[in-house]
Formats: sequence, structure tokens, C-alpha cells
Amino acid sequence: MSSWLDYTINGLIVGNVYALVAVGLALIFGVSRLINFAQGSIYLVGAYIGWVAVVQLHTPLPLTIIVVAVAAALVGLIIERFGLRPLQNSVRIAPLLATIGISFVLDQLVMLTFSPNPRALPSQLPDVRFQVGGGTIGPLDLLIAGVGLTSALLLFVFLRYSKLGWAVRAASQDRDAAMQMGVDVNRVNQAVFGIAAALGGVSGMLVGMYYNQIDTAMSLQATLKGVVAEVVGGAGNVPGAVIGSLLLGLVESYGVAVFGTSYRNLFAFLLLVVVLVLRPNGLFASARQAPPEPLTGTFIAPSRPVRIPRWALLAAAAIFAVLPFFPVSFYVLQTLINAWLLGMLALSLTLVAGTIGQVSLGHAALLAIGAYTSALLSMTLSVPVGLSIIGGGLMCAALGTALISPSFRLRGHYVSIATLAIGEIVSLVILNWESVTRGPIGISGIPPLSLFGYDLISPTSIYWFSFAVMVVLALLQGRLLTSHLGRSFRAIRDDDIAARAYGLSLNRYKSLAFIFGGFAAGVSGGIAAHLYSYINHETFNTQQSILALTVVILGGLGNVVGAILGSVALVGLPEVFRIAAEYRILIYGIVLLLLVRFRPQGLLGTM
Amino acid sequence: MTTSAPEPLLALSNVNTFYGQAQVHFDLSITVARGHIVCLLGGNASGKSTTMKIILGLVKPRSGDVTFDGASLIGLTTPQIVRRGIASVPEARRLFADMSVRENILMGAFVRNDREAIAQDLDRMLTLFPKLGQRLSQRAGSLSGGEQQMVAMARALMSRPRMIVMDEPTMGLSPLYVDRVLELIRTINQEGVSVFMVEQNASLALEIAHEAYVLQTGKIVLSGPARALKDDPRIRDAYLGGSEAA
Repeated sequence: MSSWLDYTINGLIVGNVYALVAVGLALIFGVSRLINFAQGSIYLVGAYIGWVAVVQLHTPLPLTIIVVAVAAALVGLIIERFGLRPLQNSVRIAPLLATIGISFVLDQLVMLTFSPNPRALPSQLPDVRFQVGGGTIGPLDLLIAGVGLTSALLLFVFLRYSKLGWAVRAASQDRDAAMQMGVDVNRVNQAVFGIAAALGGVSGMLVGMYYNQIDTAMSLQATLKGVVAEVVGGAGNVPGAVIGSLLLGLVESYGVAVFGTSYRNLFAFLLLVVVLVLRPNGLFASARQAPPEPLTGTFIAPSRPVRIPRWALLAAAAIFAVLPFFPVSFYVLQTLINAWLLGMLALSLTLVAGTIGQVSLGHAALLAIGAYTSALLSMTLSVPVGLSIIGGGLMCAALGTALISPSFRLRGHYVSIATLAIGEIVSLVILNWESVTRGPIGISGIPPLSLFGYDLISPTSIYWFSFAVMVVLALLQGRLLTSHLGRSFRAIRDDDIAARAYGLSLNRYKSLAFIFGGFAAGVSGGIAAHLYSYINHETFNTQQSILALTVVILGGLGNVVGAILGSVALVGLPEVFRIAAEYRILIYGIVLLLLVRFRPQGLLGTM
Repeated sequence: MTTSAPEPLLALSNVNTFYGQAQVHFDLSITVARGHIVCLLGGNASGKSTTMKIILGLVKPRSGDVTFDGASLIGLTTPQIVRRGIASVPEARRLFADMSVRENILMGAFVRNDREAIAQDLDRMLTLFPKLGQRLSQRAGSLSGGEQQMVAMARALMSRPRMIVMDEPTMGLSPLYVDRVLELIRTINQEGVSVFMVEQNASLALEIAHEAYVLQTGKIVLSGPARALKDDPRIRDAYLGGSEAA
């Protein structure tokens, strides 16, 4: 058993690594008010460049660090120039979505180049440990601490004494005023992205060496941890990000010491949610600081939705309803079943993200809640499957809304961070609550779908069942949008201050939206559980959340028909073109990027 | 110099500006002669601040031209325009709140590279704005409104501009500081810097201006030498939105 000192040292070392990521995020947030979700991907790229340098080119350690820093900086510059600069005059949500798309593309490119299998990344340092008090410390610990301190010092000198550093500070305090002093904001952005990427890349390499293993799952984890550390320290606050990182490292390390390794991330995300709820501006924000994001109006691309005549919708519904009577293959039906299930999730997300403007990045957690509830109800309490699915929907509406309610007081990008964290928490609770969820083993032998005692086993019957459920949910939601309630939702999205001034209770309406959306997502998850017959804590992951978001943006945020059309398109088209599974995520990422750039209002327009 | 009118330092000619569908400027034409203080008057939503943004390249006009020293500014970025010799004192000062007063003033010299001359200019600012001497290492955000205005003016002068554009320099200041600011604008002007200022407070602005324009819902309804406009009843009409002003 290691000593407390060991856990402290470990916490500080890991904190140092987080700091390298978080400082970059803070710099970027400071200048562009953007949370760069691609930061973890650069960290991943850094780790793999480090691997190429060490294992294939046999570079000595100092050279490896330089190679990684320079190469990662180049990636950062490319992201800034081609991914984000074209979006400068776009709606506020656009750059956020673009960084998510870029992150998918980069991760998949790394995976396709290097295969998803983990690789060893040797540190090239002697494997000795020195006794320090009651603990031990190794050369790699010292290297990480050294890199962390050196980077902090260099950054301080840069910001304090160089002209470009002054420009960065000025632009992060008042962008327009900085321009009026002659500061070229594009150059500032370049500098900031280059520095952030260099630090992130080196961080990824160091982590790879620390665990002597790199794999493509590192990316999302790094983004999440960096964001947690940055928000804890106060978004955009560079010294705050360092302190937040060290704090996060220590909290995790002590949490692991007390509860075990599988609790590490749970502590990170709980810390984030606690900070977001109690001090949304971070631990070190001064009290008089303005709310971080007065986001109103243009967060979502305004547009006039495409009017689809009623007869066309009826005709389309009729065609899909009678489709199984025609000689279509099981494969087609199977694909469309997936589309209908995704469609229900998209209905939920388009309501939450589009209609009331809370861009959720943790929607897969709602699927998981619905799926586990329905599976457990039917298996342990012998509830008939049809009812258990409704139970899953209700549980999801209640529990999902309760879990997300701490984020109701947040706005804009912070909602996305909070929902992402809450989604991770749900998955971690499922992993660790073994007495109920069977932990990592997952639940197998879930009974098949059935309705009034009849098992639905043939693809045709499953097809009709899922299609009918989705259509009913869509009709309900369409009705909701034209009601007074729907108007109130949109009022809150477009200007929450004005909505409040007119007496709308934000919490009540956000709750209602999540209750309705949670029910649809829970039903989708419930059906999926009985369809798959096996689920575990990874069945419903962040990739699905992002896929749902892409679907919703493709269809047009808030647009009910658009959500379904987007689902059919994103599930169907890769099948039509027989695209191999590993390329699909890449394509989703590219679709997201192209949409944000060229058609932010989606195919059918936002509503 | 020839007998014909000298070429103006700044000229806006037939500028039309839109925010989406809404037209903000209708064939706006304004000239600022070298060495003059020109004042743009108007009530709320008349398009005054947008005029400043047009000059600084923060907003692009749909048609029309803006020339500075004979060369068009259309298509230039804000930093490029600043390098041509236009400095600004933005509305509500817009200091870099978390930087020190010294850093704020030096940010004004961002486009310059002559270190020694910059240091001399900083000293000159401290003689022009003696109060700032004790405040140099203080956070700019902690100063009073009047002191912040001094910093904003010092910051603008640090680029050694040929012209300063000011957006409501007296807004929100105590009467004492209002007089002080007007006095300083006159001093700056006497050192050869042309001034274009946007103001709501007509009587104050006309005290120091050479020429003035009155803007009403995007159109110039009145213009001429400040002395002549001072007692013109139509000034008041323009403010109250009287359409018979023209």
C-alpha cells in the first residue's frame, strides 16, 4: 500500500499534466470565449507523434519534446486557420460545434493510421525511484514537474514581456478595444492556438510515457479533464487553470486512495458539477465579474423553416408504414429500425437543444437510464416489456431532469460542459453501482420486445413497433411546439433575460422540456435494451451524444421533421454507400464541420 | 497652398450602412479638415456610434467611400486603419480592466516600435495627465470613470495619431471632469491632432468644435461651423425628432 505522500505526489504530477491541457483551454477561452473541444485530440496527436519519434525515429528525449511541441503547434495552427477562422462572424454555437467535429476527425484519423490497439510509449528514462520522506519519486515525475514549471515560466514571460503576449492579454479582456489599438486579432488567435496545441501535445506525450501506454480513448478523457480543471479555476483564467488542475489531480488521487481506481473520473466530474453549481465563474473569479456569457439571440442560426405540406408528410409516413409489405431485405429494415431509435433520441435533443436552447452533450446518458430501468424492471420485477419501456421513459424523465437540473442556472457553453459531465457521471455510476447495474459485467439476457403478451421478434414487427412509437412521439412534440408552452420555450432560448422579465420561470420550463425530452430518450433506450438483449456502461457513450447532436443540426435545430430526416440520413446513407464502420465517425465529424460552415440552419431550417 | 479648399483629412462620402435589413446610414457625407475638431451630434439610435465604427473598419458600409489623407479605408482591417494614423477613444472607455494603467497606456503604442520615443511619450502623458502618475501600477478597472477617461485619452495619443475619433468622451463623467476632458481635447487639437467626436451633449461639444454635423435617423439634417450652429433652434428640433428640421 502506497503512502499518503505517494498519493500527494501522484496527484500533483497528474495535476501538472492536466495543467498543460487546461492552460491552453484557458488561453483560447480568454481570447475567443470558446471551449475548445478539440484540445484532447491534439493531446492524442501529441502522444502518437511522440510514439513515432521515440519508437521509430529513436530521437533522444529533449528532441522528442521539441518535435512533439512543434508538430502539435502546427496542428493547432491548421485548426485555427481552416476550422475556426472562417466561422468568426457566425452564430455563437458554430465554433463550439466545429471543435467537436474537428475532434472527431482528428481522433478517427489517428485511429485509422495507428489502429485502435494500445501502444507502449517508453519514456527513455532510467527506471529508478528515489526515497523522499515516506514516499518515492521517479525521474519521469521530475521530468513532468520540470516541463510543467518551465512551461508556466515561459508562458508568464511571454504574456508579461513580449508584444504578442500583451496583445493576447488585451484581446482577452476586450477584443474590439484591442483591435482599435492595432492588435491583429487573427495573429493573437494563431498564437494562442499554437501555444495551446504545443502544451497539449507535450502533455499527451508525457501521459503516454507515465503510463507507458497510449490509445485513442485518451482524447475525450483529456478534453474532459482539461475542461474540468479550467472551469474549476475560472474559465479564461490562466493561473486559475493551473491551480484548478493541481486541485483536480489531488482530489482524484485521494479519491482513488480511498475508494479505488474506477472512482477516479467520478470525483473529477463531481468536482466540476459542484463548482458549476456553487461558483460558475470558478473558484478564483472576483465577485464583480460579469456573468461569463450573456448569450442571447444569435446562439442558434436563425432561419425560416422549410414548410413541408401535410400531404407530403402523410405520404412519407404511409410509404414507411407499408414498406415491410414490399420485398425489402432484413438489412434495410434493420437499418431503418436503428434510424427510428436514433430518431426518438433526436426528437428529445432537438427539443432540448433547439427549442429551448440547452445544447446537451450528454444525451446518451438518458438512453442509458431508460435502457437500464426497462431491463431491470422486466428482469427483476417481471414487469411486462411494453410497460417496462414506458417505465424507462418515465424514470428517465424524472431522474434525467433531476440530474440535469443543476445546470439550469448555466448558459451557453457551460450547459454543454455540465451536461457532458453529467453524462459521464451517469456512466460511471452505472459502472460502480454493481449491486444494481452489475457493474462492468453489464446486463445480459434482457427479454425481447413484447406487446400485450406477444413477443416482437421478427424484424417486421420490431420495425412497425419502433416506427409507431417514434411517430407518436413526433406528433406529440409537434403539438407541443405550436402550443403556448412551445412559444415559452423559444422565448427562453432567444432571450432568457427578457423571458424572465415577462414572468417566465426558467427552471420550470427547462424542467418541462427535459421531462418531455427525457421521456422520448428513455423510451428509445428502453426499446434498444430489449432489442440488443445485452447492455453495459459503454453501450450508450459520448459518441452517440455527438451523433445525436449532428443529426439534430443536420435536420435543423428544433425541427421535428428535421430530426427524423437527419436520423434517416445519417444512419441510412453510410449503409447505402457501404461505408466501413471505422470511417463512419470520421464522416459524422466531417458532416458536422461542413454543416456548421455552410448550412448552420440545417436541411429543413431551425424553428 | 492653392486657393481651392484644401483636401480634407477624413472624408465619408455617400455612405450607406445596413444592419441586416435595417438601414442605418442614408448617403452619409462628412468631412474633417486637417487640424479641426469636428463633432457629430445626434440623439439615441441616430447612427452616431455606427459612424465611428465605419471609420475604424469595425462595420463595413454597403456603399460609399471613406478616405483618410486621400486614400480609401474601405477593405482595410481595423489594425491597418489604426496604422494609418487614426486612434480611438471608444464609447465607455473600454480599458483593459485587468492590466495596469501603465500597460493600458503603452498598449496605445502597440503599432510603434521605437522604444525610446515611446518611453518619452509616456512621460509626456504624465505631464498632460498628472493624476495618472500615482496610478501607474494600479489595475485600470479600479479607477474612477473620470480617471479612466484620462487613461483612454492617453492611450489614444500614444500611437502619435494624426486623428483621434472619440465616442461620447464626456458620457457619465462628473461636471468637473467634463470641463477637464473638453480642455484636454482642445489641447490635443492645438498640438496638431485632428479630432472627430460623437456627442449627445450638443452645447458642450459646440463649445470646442470647429464644425458640427447633426445626424437624425441616419441622415445629416444640419451641418456647418459650430459657432453658427450654437444658437440655431433647429439643433433642438433635431434632438426632439422634429421632422421640419431640414
